[in-house]
Amino acid sequence: MLITRFTGDSDSQRFRLRVTIQHEDLLDGNIKMARVNNKKSDRVRKTLFFCVLSLLIVVTVPLVPYAIDAQAVAEKQIKADNVVALPNPAINLWNEVRQRNAITEGSSQVKSVDSGILINKAGEDWRRFRMEILVPYGAFSMAAVLLSLIAFFLLRGKMLLPEARSGKRILRFTLNQRTAHWFIVGLFWLLAITGLILLYGRIILIPLLGAEGFSITATACKDVHNLMGPLFLFAVLAMFLLFVKDNFFTGADLKWLAKGGGMFGGHVSAGRFNAGEKIWFWLLIIFGLSLCISGLILVFSIFGQGREVMALSHMFHGISALLLISVSFGHIYLGTVGMEGTLESMTTGYVDESWAKAHHDLWYEDMAGASETTESADKNSQAGIVASGIANTSHK
Amino acid sequence: MSTLLERGVDKLKTQIDARVEAYFSSCTHCGVCAEACLFYTETGDPRYTPIYKAEPLRKVWQQEFTLLGKLSNSLGLNSITENDLSDWEELVYDGCSMCGRCSMVCPVGIDIAYLIRKVKEGMAAAGFVPDDLQSAGQRALEFGSPMGLTAKSLRTTIAVLEQENAIKIPLDVEGADYLCMLSSNEVVLYSEFITAISKIFSAAGVSWTLSSKYFEATNTGVQIGDSQIAAQLLERLVEVASELKIKTVISPECGHAYTTFRWDAPNILGRALPFNVVHIMELLDQLRSEGRLKTTGSFDERLSYHDPCNISRRGGVVQQPRHLLNQVAPNFVEMQDSMEMNWCCGGGGGVSANERAEPLRLQVFNVKKRQLDELNVTTLVTSCSNCRIMLEDGLEDNDMDVSVIGITELIADHLA
Amino acid sequence: MFEQFVNGIFWNFALIVFFAGISWRIIAVLRRGKPKDLSVPRNSGISGAIMANIRGFYPRKEIAPRIRMQVIAGYMFHLCLFVLLFFAAPHVTFIAEYITGFSWMPIPYWAFVVASEITFAGLVLLWIHRVLNPVTRLISRRGDHIASILVFIVMLTGCMALAQTSTELRVFHRFTVELLMIYFPFSALMHAIMFVPSRAYTGAWFGRRGVKV
Repeated sequence: MLITRFTGDSDSQRFRLRVTIQHEDLLDGNIKMARVNNKKSDRVRKTLFFCVLSLLIVVTVPLVPYAIDAQAVAEKQIKADNVVALPNPAINLWNEVRQRNAITEGSSQVKSVDSGILINKAGEDWRRFRMEILVPYGAFSMAAVLLSLIAFFLLRGKMLLPEARSGKRILRFTLNQRTAHWFIVGLFWLLAITGLILLYGRIILIPLLGAEGFSITATACKDVHNLMGPLFLFAVLAMFLLFVKDNFFTGADLKWLAKGGGMFGGHVSAGRFNAGEKIWFWLLIIFGLSLCISGLILVFSIFGQGREVMALSHMFHGISALLLISVSFGHIYLGTVGMEGTLESMTTGYVDESWAKAHHDLWYEDMAGASETTESADKNSQAGIVASGIANTSHK
Repeated sequence: MSTLLERGVDKLKTQIDARVEAYFSSCTHCGVCAEACLFYTETGDPRYTPIYKAEPLRKVWQQEFTLLGKLSNSLGLNSITENDLSDWEELVYDGCSMCGRCSMVCPVGIDIAYLIRKVKEGMAAAGFVPDDLQSAGQRALEFGSPMGLTAKSLRTTIAVLEQENAIKIPLDVEGADYLCMLSSNEVVLYSEFITAISKIFSAAGVSWTLSSKYFEATNTGVQIGDSQIAAQLLERLVEVASELKIKTVISPECGHAYTTFRWDAPNILGRALPFNVVHIMELLDQLRSEGRLKTTGSFDERLSYHDPCNISRRGGVVQQPRHLLNQVAPNFVEMQDSMEMNWCCGGGGGVSANERAEPLRLQVFNVKKRQLDELNVTTLVTSCSNCRIMLEDGLEDNDMDVSVIGITELIADHLA
Repeated sequence: MFEQFVNGIFWNFALIVFFAGISWRIIAVLRRGKPKDLSVPRNSGISGAIMANIRGFYPRKEIAPRIRMQVIAGYMFHLCLFVLLFFAAPHVTFIAEYITGFSWMPIPYWAFVVASEITFAGLVLLWIHRVLNPVTRLISRRGDHIASILVFIVMLTGCMALAQTSTELRVFHRFTVELLMIYFPFSALMHAIMFVPSRAYTGAWFGRRGVKV
């Protein structure tokens, strides 16, 4: 059974000519997510998916022997570490030097934190954590999320609205909420990019820019990162205050998660924010605050922080950052390319009624009284604002 | 460029003076003016942003008076099209009452109403004026009154009032101290104003007269934005005032009449006026302070005062009505936004004469409705007959049980 | 080579364009003049002009609730920009060396950093608001966006050069400053100077009518 609808989106001045729902079972019972199923783009996407999959296999498979080999080497190293032939006769000396279970308290002319330790192991631990865990696992997590999203897109395509746009719009985000969101977006990416340059720059940029070129870049990035960092705290607090009200978990969220959020077909109910969004919100708050606190400890290192404290802060900072960056890819994907009708909620503040019904039906029911009608006259579409029905718009 | 467009643009070029240049150089497009404009706040349509209404003038300034504009001009990059004028007709004539509230809030001090007035000059030159206003202008030039009232109608009204109220209304008295002008509204709808001033002036011993040769207070030239029509109408007043050897002209309960006579007339005519100008409220307040206006009793209804934009904000007559009301109205309460920042009735600047603008005008009345709902008054007093009609219209449209009275009438009802 | 260009010719060029351009615009506006107001004033126009300039700095209570974002972010940006531009140590040194010949007491380093952060926050919030608010989205012109972004870039390059260890970063910052100086007289940034005559004209107009601006 073929259903053809002409849908026009005058707001963004795009016209999608044909929505074709091919299978009857997609229509029975629940409204399922329809897919743009133009035969040609479907084929193109499937082809691309298999190309990428093949590329992945070609790239990763030869690495397997290396991974096994590295594993063996590591095991040998551990064995070597654990072989205790004879205790080192100078072990007491070296414990004193490293101030590890030391008997005497080290001291020096320089009076500062940790200045009584001649060789500080914490620094080496810190370096090893950074280079052997943070850098590779961070890269892996970002790449994994990115590739999964690409794969998901190629498989599933853009998730379209199951019903055509009704033309009635509902206010989803106020001007303050949108301002706070885009403010934190700008800050997040400024900090993320400068931070990533600081973390990965030596590996990726020195070959490109040379050592001195990278030195200048890193200095610049460090100063921008340090200066903008404290602002992120205010941004996180603003996001918390503006969005926390609807982000508490409810029973509906468990059901939403059980059904995979409807991302693989089917319809799930959700309130103003679904479980995925709530998880992202709390991740942002928790790990965002972690970033801020650890960042402040790191940048204001004049309050007697020793190397352990700094290393710990750096660990929290790095893990939080890479986690948030990785998850943010998903958030950005779903907010832009992944779903139809979502981005406009954060740009114009309004969503179409059919989007609300499809994705946040419980919220839609609450808001049903507040829906407004747009006129599709050209002069209004440029302004994007409704004509009748709004009195005293305070845009707050 | 078509001829119409050429005429419009040429006219707009002549409108650019130091004030206009300073204003457009300062505007940062911050959007604060929109928050003060009832046409924006009540519709949510950003096209009614005040500074946006001045776009035609800004485009001409940018193109003809700035370095970058002149450079792009020579490269053929600029072009003002006819749409730049015609699309603005509705914004400027339907969506702006020239209330000037925007000018009060601009952070860089732009007098946006001044700019829009100048835009109207260009629109008038190009012929993009609403039909209703055009016809009113033609009637004003032909009959003296935009409603087409003649001296005969005035005489008839005077005769009826004299008979009904046992008063004498002086007409064409040479050498009187004061010449009182009348808006056609007052002759036709609110003739109690004429009765009121008659009684008050008689009690206070004021020497005054009406004129049958030219009595119209309103100036459709100002509403259209055509200084030539405005000047022609004003010359008639000067002629009559000279003939009757008048010292002071009274501007009646009409908004733009006051700003036109008192503030704009000398500049439109290019010479100082040979007489003084006062608003009726200024005169009444002066009589009150001189002890010549004695009242008795009080009007006990809970009432508020609607400040007509042209009289208070653009004219400077703010405290006088309050002194008068405090004399007779013990239950006078101020609106939340009052005095120079009161909200427009929605009908000024020619909007009331423009039938096309009626739905919009009734929609933006919501702000007045909210002001009144907050106060819970039974009566609304004002000092402009145009505001009076607009308020009555809006109140009826919203089924609100508030009566509207003119301040002069209220004072006269309580004359000792 | 680029360093010599930025420190030498381009600096001189920018300085001339900046001062000459601003002076030219002010003179042009004043020269155009306006017809004398022939009406009989109720009050002094001059006191109105002065009062309007002062009064313009705070919003009217009737609309203050509606424009909180613009007022707060606006002041965050402008006040702290003024502070960091004229009182941050590297700037004081620069101005003393290249413009005035004398210096003054700079603010401590931490105050410089805090002022910069507040300025950044204000600028970004204002620009986001400009894009999101339907009114400003409609009325903003290309120049408004260019001005915001250019100021942001100048500040960002300044932030990048904060450590003052790299000549290249410092030169880059100076280069962007010079671009801003050249752009200034032909842009919406002129509001920084033109607001004074603008408020004065309107204040005088209202003053003559006896209206409290």
